[in-house]
Amino acid sequence: MTRYIMVADLRRCVGCQTCTSSCKETNATPPGVQWRRVLDIEAGEYPLVRRVFVPTGCQHCDDPPCMEVCPSTATGQRKDGIVTIDYDLCIGCSYCALACPYEARYKVDDVEYVYGAAATATEVARRDQQKIGIVTKCTFCVDRIDAGTKAGKVPGVDPEATPACVNSCISGALRFGDIDNPDSAVSKLVAENKWFRMHEDEGTGPGFYYLWDKGAL
Amino acid sequence: MSGHTGAAKKSVPTYCYNCVSGPDLMRVTVEDGVATTVEPNHDAAGIHPADGRPCVKAYGLVQKTYNPHRVLTPMKRTNPNKGQNEDPGFVPISWDEAMDQIGAKLRDIRARGVLDDAGLPRVAATFGMGGTPASYMGTMPAFLAAWGAIDYSMGSGQGVKCTHSEHLYGELWHRAFTVSADTVNTRYIVSFGANVEISGGVCAVRRHADARIRGIKRVYVEPHLSVTGACSSEWVPIKPKTDPAFMLAMINTILHEAPRDALDIPFLRDRTASPYLVGPDGYYLRDVDGGKPLVWDEAGGRAVPHDTAGVVPALEGTFTVALAECHGPDGEVFRHEGVAGRTAFSVMADEMKDYTPEWAADICDVPAATMRRVALEYLENACVGETIEVNGRTLPFRPVAVTLGKTVNNGWGAYECCWARTVLAVLVGALEVPGGTLGTTVRINRPHDNRLKSVKPGPDGFMDTTFNPTDRGNWSERPTGRNAHRTLVPIVGNGPWSQALGPTHLAWMFMNEAPADWPKPTLPEIWFAYRTNPAISFWEIARLSETMAKMPFIVAFAYTMDETNHMADILLPEATDLESTQLIRIGGNKFVEQHWDHIGVALRQPVVEPLGESRDFTWIATELARQAGLLETYNQRINSGAALVPLKGEGYDFSLPTDRVNEIDAVWDAVCKAATAMLAGPAEAKGLDWFKDNGFFVVPHKRVDWYLYPTMVDQGLRFELPYQERLFKVGKELGRRLHEKGIHWWDNQLGEYCPIPEWHDVPGRWTQSIIDAGANPDDYPLWGITTKSMQYAAGNNIGIPLMDEVGRNMRGHGAVVINTSTARALGISDNDWVEVASPFGSTRGQAAVMQGCRPDTVVIPGQFSHWKTPFAKDLNYPTLNKLTPLSNATLALTDATGSGSDVVRVSLRRIEAPSAETLAVGGAA
Repeated sequence: MTRYIMVADLRRCVGCQTCTSSCKETNATPPGVQWRRVLDIEAGEYPLVRRVFVPTGCQHCDDPPCMEVCPSTATGQRKDGIVTIDYDLCIGCSYCALACPYEARYKVDDVEYVYGAAATATEVARRDQQKIGIVTKCTFCVDRIDAGTKAGKVPGVDPEATPACVNSCISGALRFGDIDNPDSAVSKLVAENKWFRMHEDEGTGPGFYYLWDKGAL
Repeated sequence: MSGHTGAAKKSVPTYCYNCVSGPDLMRVTVEDGVATTVEPNHDAAGIHPADGRPCVKAYGLVQKTYNPHRVLTPMKRTNPNKGQNEDPGFVPISWDEAMDQIGAKLRDIRARGVLDDAGLPRVAATFGMGGTPASYMGTMPAFLAAWGAIDYSMGSGQGVKCTHSEHLYGELWHRAFTVSADTVNTRYIVSFGANVEISGGVCAVRRHADARIRGIKRVYVEPHLSVTGACSSEWVPIKPKTDPAFMLAMINTILHEAPRDALDIPFLRDRTASPYLVGPDGYYLRDVDGGKPLVWDEAGGRAVPHDTAGVVPALEGTFTVALAECHGPDGEVFRHEGVAGRTAFSVMADEMKDYTPEWAADICDVPAATMRRVALEYLENACVGETIEVNGRTLPFRPVAVTLGKTVNNGWGAYECCWARTVLAVLVGALEVPGGTLGTTVRINRPHDNRLKSVKPGPDGFMDTTFNPTDRGNWSERPTGRNAHRTLVPIVGNGPWSQALGPTHLAWMFMNEAPADWPKPTLPEIWFAYRTNPAISFWEIARLSETMAKMPFIVAFAYTMDETNHMADILLPEATDLESTQLIRIGGNKFVEQHWDHIGVALRQPVVEPLGESRDFTWIATELARQAGLLETYNQRINSGAALVPLKGEGYDFSLPTDRVNEIDAVWDAVCKAATAMLAGPAEAKGLDWFKDNGFFVVPHKRVDWYLYPTMVDQGLRFELPYQERLFKVGKELGRRLHEKGIHWWDNQLGEYCPIPEWHDVPGRWTQSIIDAGANPDDYPLWGITTKSMQYAAGNNIGIPLMDEVGRNMRGHGAVVINTSTARALGISDNDWVEVASPFGSTRGQAAVMQGCRPDTVVIPGQFSHWKTPFAKDLNYPTLNKLTPLSNATLALTDATGSGSDVVRVSLRRIEAPSAETLAVGGAA
């Protein structure tokens, strides 16, 4: 079996937002939509303060609450763990967005361009009317994974088969791969480090592992 | 161009060099002729230290290219009146008309001479961000070189926005224009505001992330919890501008509390001036025969020249020397008999005796125990006595470093910080060795591409360094540039970068109001501005803009309208980052942490066709040369290396004909071939077409060449530390010259030329500036400082929506960062509108209330408050640059190197939110 997961090593992340930017370009998301977002979190009281950068987005849960509430069956789950949205089926009701404990889902009702009224040449080339009025989220760059694996590439190893955010990550914080493969880099990272998963107590079984060895955030 | 996925979609290799921490390699996906996405260049995995991944800024280049606000045709001003409130009345013109108009001015100047009656260049040029515009201006350097004298002294922030004192003292002491920890090897870093996760580029980010996983300890000393603070093991919130006291306390602890044998005695004895004997007048005791500094030969019981074969000099103590001479200023020689000579090391130890952690605690508002612990941890981790083998050479292994950030290493206190940092390295032998403190590039010394080759034996056993002369007869009494860098700042030298490193704020100040007994500089007749916006990025920006508006003829290479080119007479649209051609150097040893295991060159190529009538800078430079009647000289300059490398070398000659206009591709084809031939031999010469497919070319760069120590050993040289006899003497001479002219307004700066830095009330200078401005310091109880953001800094990012959108994910972006308790006391809540004011101006923005900031400090990140730049002008973000003076008050805040610091005492109050109408027109900040 294959179960794709994301690893975010919070000891490495510097909050540079390179992954966010790369995701936005790769997936041509409109202004304000950040499938991959990096939070800037502060905890403690002066002078004993901690500041941590936390990449977030769809956790591609084992038991995704978004799928459970989807009335149109647009939200689905592949055997490899990737949670999908069928844009043809989505009716834009946003139940999924409310159900998602990770605030990972976006709905855009109106076309908006980065510079205001007119689309840039890039936006003209990349615009996807289909994504207006429906819900979108991180896909783990599933098209890259599928095209890459079809070409014999390995997700998490070969850039052609790896999510854009992971490819772009300058600190090496984001890693991707198959946790069911004990030899994969993500399996080793998870096995060899302390980690947590976000809102795990909600029973979602997130496919996003945060490496962290410095106690409570 | 390489087509990876068919004709309609391709992936084009190129580079981003929008900030000094680059260049970053990347690829751009182009679909049907439109650039759509930036991606890493994975071909560089294992070659580039961050595996070919560019930083966030590179991802803004797609939106930058298609910014609808771009200037896409040459334009001329129709309103002769200039100023913020004047409509320039720009109208489109043809390239012919634009170049004819500029050409006529250039020819007229050449007919009259490139210097005016005051001896100042009639042509001036300003380029922003640490020389990075040179990686976008094609062959423009060849035109500038062909022209002759040009004034580069009107900076866009150099001296006050850079790590200025580090540049100057770093080059003097260890050929370190920029300084870095040897991050890949080090174990312990004390960082005083060196926010490398923001400003160190992708190489620094990756290396420090690797180091954290490896278990490095980094102590971050800064008034606010920056990104680097967040990524460090420990944050020590220090009072602004008191860093020298912390570092002096560290030295005190190491010298006066730790056992001597914890230091690297052989390094101090053999590789520094520590054993040199200092006479009673502060100068070295010298051999009366050859004039060489003396050391005390313990075995022989006598003073001998420092380079006497086999001598083992005493490191500490006072010794009576039978006969010696001292060399004072202006060639004065004092002969002494039976004179007491104390070793430089002992002089330093004496000077540091009172700087205990307890002494520093109140100054820094940091517990003495913290400083003592940090000092001892530093010492403990230094691994004194250990060695490591690098490329077959056994070197000391000293995995400790102290790094300095902006505002720490510029302005008053920076001399003390730079000295203390370097001495901390020297004490444990951690200077320019694996794990320690490294310089990574040179700009004052030559050659710029190899700092090891810049090392030549000089006087007294040190590296040779060329100061601007201060002796009577050779001192540059009459300024040769509007900032008088040769006149006022001996250490900055007079190389191609020196003028722009001089006190660039002095040029702007003096053109507006010159000090007493000082000629007010003439305005340049033509001012070229490229990738620079000093009307926003300098200090007291309204006043600076008024000075700028007086310039008679400004030619701005314009991407969009902005606050500087608002004053221009001609706007020239250059084909920008993704639209033009250039070859640059990569790898080797470059700025900040750009030291690689490879060295080579990378191509920037037209990923897409230039928009509108924008033109490649090489075409523009060639046309300027032709218009000025300098085409042949310009071509000669290209042939001799002004476009990157000489086109002729051993076994190859790709020289261009000099009697004609050479096509853009022909120029860069020759440069590509010459560069590759130079790197790998003539048989490996690669032309432009090869580079268009492959993007970059590298050969191995030996890691041992990261370190200067082997070169110093091979040449038998000593680092010029800890005692600063040369600076002391130069300061005396400079003082005499200035006083002979009746100039006393530089006297405070002369006080900095002391052989061992002494603490003075550094932050008190900023308090005094409030009093000098006629205000009460109690009315300005907080410290205002600034910081960079990776998303925003450099590269026109302020006008790029993507960079702003992702920048907003970072707390404090576009806001005023205020400590929670301070905000509570003032009735300020998160996102409230606040006004921050100094006696010199005020700025308004929204509060970002955080715990990670000292209660006595507010932080205003970035440089905003735009009123012209599209998109940016509607953001209503605040800026510290409205609060920092650029008037005679600034002179008192300028140190001897000509640099200042981004710090000012401020008041803070909550205000009502601006009206929707005000916000809509960007008038809130």
